[in-house]
Amino acid sequence: MATAVGIDLGTTNTVVAAVRDEVVTTLADSRRERIFPSVVSFHPSGSVLVGRNALERRLIDAPNTIYSIKRLIGRPWDSPEVQQARKQLPFELREGPKAGTVVVARGEELTLPEISAFVLRHAKVVAEAALGEPVDRAVITVPANFNDLQRAATKTAGGLAGLDVMRILNEPTAAALAYGQDQARERIAVFDLGGGTFDVSLLDLADNVFEVLATAGDSALGGDDIDVIIAERMVEDLLAKHRFDARTMPSGFARLRILGEQMKCALSSSEEFQLEVDDLVPGHRGTSVKWRFRMTRPELEWAALVIVERTLTVCQRALEAAGLVPSQLDRIILVGGATRMPMVARKVEQFFGRAPIVRVNPDEVVALGAAIQADLLDRSPKRSQPPAANPRIAEQSFASARPSTPPSFEVPDLPIIQPRPSSIPRSKSERTSDPPIELDLDDTMLGPAFGLPVLPPLPALPSRRPPPSRSAPPPARSASPPPPIPATRGLHKPATSTSIRRGGKKKKGPLLIDVTPLSLSVETAGGFCDILIDANMPIPCDRTRSFGTAKDGQTSVHLRVAQGESKRFADNTLLGELELSGLRAAPRGAIEIAVTFEIDANGMLKVRARDTRTGNETAARIQLVGAQVEAADLAAMRARQAAHPLETG
Amino acid sequence: MPISDALLVFCQSLDAKSYYEILGVARNADSAAIQEAFHSFSRVYHPDQHVDSPPDAMDIASDIFKRAVEAYRCLSRPVNRERYDHDLKRGRLRLEPGRPSSAPPPADVRTLETLARTLEGIAFAQKADRLLAAGNLADAQVELANACKWEPYNHELSERLHLLYEALELSSS
Repeated sequence: MATAVGIDLGTTNTVVAAVRDEVVTTLADSRRERIFPSVVSFHPSGSVLVGRNALERRLIDAPNTIYSIKRLIGRPWDSPEVQQARKQLPFELREGPKAGTVVVARGEELTLPEISAFVLRHAKVVAEAALGEPVDRAVITVPANFNDLQRAATKTAGGLAGLDVMRILNEPTAAALAYGQDQARERIAVFDLGGGTFDVSLLDLADNVFEVLATAGDSALGGDDIDVIIAERMVEDLLAKHRFDARTMPSGFARLRILGEQMKCALSSSEEFQLEVDDLVPGHRGTSVKWRFRMTRPELEWAALVIVERTLTVCQRALEAAGLVPSQLDRIILVGGATRMPMVARKVEQFFGRAPIVRVNPDEVVALGAAIQADLLDRSPKRSQPPAANPRIAEQSFASARPSTPPSFEVPDLPIIQPRPSSIPRSKSERTSDPPIELDLDDTMLGPAFGLPVLPPLPALPSRRPPPSRSAPPPARSASPPPPIPATRGLHKPATSTSIRRGGKKKKGPLLIDVTPLSLSVETAGGFCDILIDANMPIPCDRTRSFGTAKDGQTSVHLRVAQGESKRFADNTLLGELELSGLRAAPRGAIEIAVTFEIDANGMLKVRARDTRTGNETAARIQLVGAQVEAADLAAMRARQAAHPLETG
Repeated sequence: MPISDALLVFCQSLDAKSYYEILGVARNADSAAIQEAFHSFSRVYHPDQHVDSPPDAMDIASDIFKRAVEAYRCLSRPVNRERYDHDLKRGRLRLEPGRPSSAPPPADVRTLETLARTLEGIAFAQKADRLLAAGNLADAQVELANACKWEPYNHELSERLHLLYEALELSSS
């Protein structure tokens, strides 16, 4: 039986998770690691290494070891991000067809989705080994503010990896889903600072409906930027102490970035840290000189302040879009490895006036949420059991259960459940063995949403606990019978309710209502934008506009479509040109084409057009140049994937 | 009745309904009531609630949900709601009807080339079109100015030149 998984395809790391027997768990690879680097290395043998093995080749084979692709995917060649990356990254980037970007590895040109496909293939292999069954469907997460091109490229990558992409899910939304609902009704903010991207999403949670109110982000802002700041300090230090310019050395700066990351992580748990490097600075006659570099946490925080301040500006933008003030949020959730910096939690607390929560491992929480959504969307006829309405998070993903991570932040009001020593196997081999370990919690301590420990429900408010759904019975180990179920709240009686309500049988499972992060517009005279769909509109949504011909006998109409918040069209991201061709010959203005722009549940654009006079749907052909991968290109990409076996183990 | 048919009937009924009727709220409902109604509506009609239904049912549910989004978005913003209430009194059920209006085609689909009339003017206008498409407003403006020199009485063309000047001013400020 094939399984659906959730994949957090990160800038720096990738995590794959699945729901099994009502428990959602991240899946470990053969090294028993649940997080693997999003690094792809092309070996001279023709095989491809992914993950830790590839990361190790970053220094010995820098030109053929590809990373940070998520920063570039779906961006045109002439975008500032790609042009800046060309200077920073030690592998070659070239202009590809249709103004795209390609990577050159061992003399072969590969598009960016192809690189991501290798990472996803590895995730698939890891999942299949851990689950012991084939994996062919996945929910893949992306930063909330990814545009249509970035989402489409990610979806293409999934297809190349042999996965049916059930949904492109926004990372903060996934995290919110993993945390679940704590109270009958609450507003939460998800602050997601990853390796390369920052997002903040504000959600309204009521009766297991997760409605995103607003989202904002910066897809070129993340923990990696802090690594670069530290690496730049190191360059200065090396010049001052040893008159050695690391930038002149091949992969010298790449090495410093890795050291910068080490420094950043070390300073999250200690106040001061010194690096000693023996093999970097050349000395006399082939020897090398020891280089020491010391940094204190205040020094790091001062350097990183500009990055953290930028995240708060983005938070302000999200609040304004939702019409909220910071104090109106009931919970602030931190997601992403970069939120481990104590300074980030401190600044977030200052901004929202409330201590943020890190209950689930911030590196794993997005994948866990993606797995929950994958389980909800799975409609495989062969599936043995209905989707778990309330999957629990496996023990090893709780932040408090990981001694290797820095001490978790204070969580006021909510008790942190300590696993019972008797029920949790302690030896290393048992801990990493499958199936995952479940928390043996009192029934009264089970959270109403996904088993996260929360306050026991008050007897006076039985409605806090959702009634168990028909499709997912309560866990067998529940000792006490469930409390009385309040009557379903009949707020809305649609016209054809009886037959349709039967269709909504998974009524108590969580429901996500996400939004589109960016405004969609067409170009008008003078290079301005005419907005069709506003940012933060719930999805799926659509909007119809009509366009006409300007010349007698004109048989095609061209429109340019972009996403972004600028009034000037050229400042936004061009999604492509819409060609409405094959129109019937008619006098000027006699033809009107009604064009429907739809943002689907993946946050991706779909366009259809109709001749309003004839009602003929086929009167127009639509071509979004650059957005669609043509069949021939796709076949070539597939062939290249097949030509590179994955090095496993 | 199969679920697809039931959904289709409901979907078709939406065209005759106001936003208030779609969401099932009173005309004076406050924003909390509107949000609650939208959530209840989503529980039934959000396409994700129909993953076990046939694919066509999912598509119809999606169409229904999109109409609810339109209603929700309009009614939950005071400015839009005010405008809509005004329109609704005149019998208009949608804030921006999906049906195309009878207004003349918008100017934004006309290229400069279609506006120019002389051979020389068309040549310059073509150049300006290409430059505009490339986002090069400054050079496009030069070419368009040339086209206007050949066609001093072409008001549409000089209007476009004027718009271009405005755009350039905006981008420089």
